[in-house]
Amino acid sequence: MKKVLLLILISILILGGCTRKTSKKASTDENITNEMVFVEGGTFVNKNSTFYGKDIVINDFYISKYEITQYEWKMIMGDNPSEFKGDNYPVENVSWYDAIEYCNKRSIKEGLEPYYNIDKTSKDPFNISEYDDIKWTVTINENANGYRLPTEAEWEYAASGGQKSKNYIYSGSDNADKAAWYWRNSGDEYLKGDWSWPKIASNNNRTKPVGSTKPNELGLYDMSGNVREWCWDWYTESDSAKGSAYKIWKGGGWMGDVVCCELSYRGKYEANGMGPDTGFRVCRNP
Amino acid sequence: MSKKLRKAIALIFAASLCISTMLAGNAYANTYWQYWTDGGGYVNAVNGSGGNFSVNWYNCGNFVVGKGWATGSPNRVINYNAGVWAPSGNGYLTLYGWTRNALIEYYVVDSWGNWRPPGSNSLGTVYSDGGTYDIYRTMRYNAPSIDGTQTFAQYWSVRTSKRPTGSNVSITFANHVNAWASRGLYLGSSWSYQVMAVEGYQSSGSANVTVW
Repeated sequence: MKKVLLLILISILILGGCTRKTSKKASTDENITNEMVFVEGGTFVNKNSTFYGKDIVINDFYISKYEITQYEWKMIMGDNPSEFKGDNYPVENVSWYDAIEYCNKRSIKEGLEPYYNIDKTSKDPFNISEYDDIKWTVTINENANGYRLPTEAEWEYAASGGQKSKNYIYSGSDNADKAAWYWRNSGDEYLKGDWSWPKIASNNNRTKPVGSTKPNELGLYDMSGNVREWCWDWYTESDSAKGSAYKIWKGGGWMGDVVCCELSYRGKYEANGMGPDTGFRVCRNP
Repeated sequence: MSKKLRKAIALIFAASLCISTMLAGNAYANTYWQYWTDGGGYVNAVNGSGGNFSVNWYNCGNFVVGKGWATGSPNRVINYNAGVWAPSGNGYLTLYGWTRNALIEYYVVDSWGNWRPPGSNSLGTVYSDGGTYDIYRTMRYNAPSIDGTQTFAQYWSVRTSKRPTGSNVSITFANHVNAWASRGLYLGSSWSYQVMAVEGYQSSGSANVTVW
């Protein structure tokens, strides 16, 4: 009898161990699907988007559910440049170049093909910024499966709810206070009146943990507010522009005016620019 | 004309006079009040009636106190009277504001304490309101702004000698806007606040200013 009980116990332990292993693998898979949300492509449904009614079709893609956190950054890059520390807070104080490097390093770590070719020895002739002293030439491997920044159109498509859009002005709401952390609501007290940096500085405004506002129609968090998010594209006034001084950011952040949080707002910043309100999220091709 | 109609006309006339008086009162620069201090030392600012404000400071860190308009204008003539202006150390008496698209911070400095800003090379001069101002352009890198952290330009007109205080004076802002533009220093198309301000940095002093 004792032998039978012992056999049953050993069997349970072995099975338990197998189950844990399986669930761990499942958990890894889940992290990919949970953290990277599938976005079904199509044309723009949200009438508040700058791309609505234009002949633009977005392909299917994955995008991270949250802004890249400081934990995620540290796991790949080792350091933490953020001003407001916390594993579940968005990483900030990262330049566009930093974000590009993160994408490639994370791709390599996860056995994916890097999406970017980074040439640090050649100055990009398209970059006409007076203040960018880096100007790496960055090109893409279009079919690579690695991590990458969203294009402006992809970002806006995802923020506007994709095919499930309910025509909100901000990502997931028409009410900025429900959708976004921005200058009025990201400090000790709710600020009234006109935007004023002195008021904001005195009110201890700052980033918030990712995912602490209402998600949008696709289950994406903080696409309006918290930190501004780098996109791949250059900021130009026309497609025929011969150069640009800026990369595009979208979504607005805790420091800026509420207008910046509108999903249609096009922000711009030198690619080497960085601040405590500037981070990013990543995409992947399916 | 019936008595009732006459009364109604009289009432409307009286009401319109009241409204005119109220609007005239709003000629004071009191649609925007700025008061910021980094918390260092002692700073006591009072938002007075109409366009008046006063500030006393002692061994301060950094502060800015000012009064003006929530929406700036390139054509505004800013009138003020600095009845008290007594900085001991580093301080400015300046018109100050912002534009967006392009993001520009601007100053027209009429007086200062012991250091004349901004400490760079002049791009030329402009004569306005009885004095000559040097023109400067400086940059702020990765600094806070209404668009979030940005790298942006600051345009300056700084009087070559301190402007006397204690009487009613004007700043014809258009003269500075035009002088800046002639040197390629263009302001943005969207106007944020515009104030007559007192800024102090690691200094002591007092000021009492009325703006209209």
